Amino acid sequence: MTRQERTAWTFTAPVLAIIAFVLILPTLLALALSVTDYSVYALADWANLRFIGLGNFTTLLTTPLFWRALGNTALFSVVGVPMAIGASLLAALLLNDATVRWKPLWRVALFAPYVTSVVATATVWQFLLNTRYGLLNYGLSLVGIGPVDWLGDPRASIPAILIFVTWKIFGYNMIVFTAALSAVPQDLMEAARLDGASRLGRFRHVTLPAIGPTLLLAAVMSVAGFLQLFAEPYVMTQGGPAQSTVTVLYFMFDEGFKWWNLGQASAVALILFVLILAVTLVQARIGRRYEWL
Amino acid sequence: MGQAASPPDQGLTRRGLLAGSAALLASACAPRRNPAALRLWAMSYEGDYSPHLMPPFTRATGIDVEVQSLPWTASHEKLLTAFAGDAMPDVMMLPAGWVGEFAMVGAIAPVCDPALVTGLFPGLTEATRYGGRDHAVPWSVAPQAQFYRRDLLAAAGYDGPPLDWAGWRHMGRELKRRRPGEWVFLMPLNWWDALFTFAGQAGAKLLRDRNTRGDFASPEFAAALDFYASLYADRLAPPMLSTELQDPFAAFAQGAFAIYPRSPAMLLDLRRRAAEIAPDRWGVARMPGPRGPAPAGGISATLAVAATSPRAHEAWTLVRYMTGVGAELEFQRLIGSLPARQSAWAAPQMQAPVLRPFRSQMTELVTEPNVIEWERIRIEVQLVAERLVRGDLTSAQAMATMNTRADAILAKRRALVDAGRIA
Repeated sequence: MTRQERTAWTFTAPVLAIIAFVLILPTLLALALSVTDYSVYALADWANLRFIGLGNFTTLLTTPLFWRALGNTALFSVVGVPMAIGASLLAALLLNDATVRWKPLWRVALFAPYVTSVVATATVWQFLLNTRYGLLNYGLSLVGIGPVDWLGDPRASIPAILIFVTWKIFGYNMIVFTAALSAVPQDLMEAARLDGASRLGRFRHVTLPAIGPTLLLAAVMSVAGFLQLFAEPYVMTQGGPAQSTVTVLYFMFDEGFKWWNLGQASAVALILFVLILAVTLVQARIGRRYEWL
Repeated sequence: MGQAASPPDQGLTRRGLLAGSAALLASACAPRRNPAALRLWAMSYEGDYSPHLMPPFTRATGIDVEVQSLPWTASHEKLLTAFAGDAMPDVMMLPAGWVGEFAMVGAIAPVCDPALVTGLFPGLTEATRYGGRDHAVPWSVAPQAQFYRRDLLAAAGYDGPPLDWAGWRHMGRELKRRRPGEWVFLMPLNWWDALFTFAGQAGAKLLRDRNTRGDFASPEFAAALDFYASLYADRLAPPMLSTELQDPFAAFAQGAFAIYPRSPAMLLDLRRRAAEIAPDRWGVARMPGPRGPAPAGGISATLAVAATSPRAHEAWTLVRYMTGVGAELEFQRLIGSLPARQSAWAAPQMQAPVLRPFRSQMTELVTEPNVIEWERIRIEVQLVAERLVRGDLTSAQAMATMNTRADAILAKRRALVDAGRIA
């Protein structure tokens, strides 16, 4: 090992040690837990712990609520990611326009929800979504749509939470996109305009390729975020009504921390990990095809 | 943060800033609480108002107490996590149904003095016994009673609610007929109290085979479930969760509901928010039973001492004080909770008419299954009942699903009972 290498290792050692201790070790322990029936009985007496191999996974696959949680999570991600990224991109494009005034003010106002506490904003949204007195239903009634029982109807609860989550998080990606948009080469834009490209054409052939990598990054982060959705349903509906907003992470939290079935919960964590990894690999592959990586 | 500032003659130097930030970090890490104080965790109103009980105790014994209030919805996981993480408080409030679980994992110590658990309402110590020993001291009892709107009932020709199921539902229909836009019964679909009160009154056993299997298809439970579901089917109670109601008390005070089945904690709300509903506009009665009032369950709150508490003696002194007649009566005045100690009921304040329904229910309590899975089973059963109310399941399907879910939750217990490892 050269002196330089030694120095490099010395500098990275603390970080590597921390990663090993707080990331790799717990992951391995969780992996070990997922093949046991660790429950509150094992907390009382280790002799009650049994090795059950893939038992937790087979139980999970026959638990209807787990499938339901998977379905709910998939629905949240499939609808939520395009919704959130679309809203971010739209806001960023609007803010990027030269004619918009008071840009810093808009930026702050739209970014504020992201940095406000989930519990506080969820409480406000519970009032906005109230069936009888809520602002949202008032607005809908003006255009002749009957009152929607947002948080009480199992069919409306997921859209209600999606609206809230989108409003809450789109500010972050909006800032990222604003940065990316400012790097779009202006001379190319000028040239396209002179060649007679339409607004849509300029967006499609100049802007989009320039912000492609950023778009991919935002997509990867959003997918990972939506697959791990927890706090919003936890605060707003506690998984209800009729367990229509139970997500995979919510299911895991209930199993693991509420009822202390850590074996089962670790199995859920592992499945979630594999899912996120798989989706990210697919996204990376798509990104490479468009030469965004 | 006086020590964080650098001496004035030096001005703002880099060294001063570094030292300052180090001092700031050190002071931020130092525990803010008084290390000598006993730590007490309690839920909800008990937690909020316990600090009011402490000054006389501290004066008499010299022991400082630090109270932390926990929300009901997060307290089970918080206590178990505290035990797993070796961060238990010295004294904690536990609903009687959790005592067996925390005793089994070794989190709480057996009651050291038998005098603490004598003179209580009968049946209360059954739930707090584990392995033949008492593990917590019953503190208060909270059976359900129905709070009703005198004015709304009078308009429909009722002095008070009928106390049998058929009459109760009939009254509900009468009220609904007069005010079709409002509701009658305030029973959110995620609260299990109403269903389990009905089940208790119908005499349902809930679990069978030495508490290793669900017994939710019994005729008694079927009767309770059908009655419960019929209140929603008749549109007397709204198919809503408590998260949607936001402020159930305000809804009751504004007349959106005529009947609000609740624990004695309601008495505190009624006093604090008397401006919203005048005292002559509400009354309280026992919950209806199949053919008149019958025994039902009620949550009883207990106090337990952590097995790991380094100051067990002081901790038991605190439990003795808090479950004593004086403190229980003081708490009754403050938050409406009902003393578990019988001798407290001789006091003049306990003769108030609003307490009578609670008192008569307290002499007729049924004990719920004393297994650690019970809390979860109850929540699962309520979730299935919610799906029945929403029309996803028929009554027969619902009861079968309840049994399936209960059996799955009890699988581990069944294996341990069969192996003879637990009773």
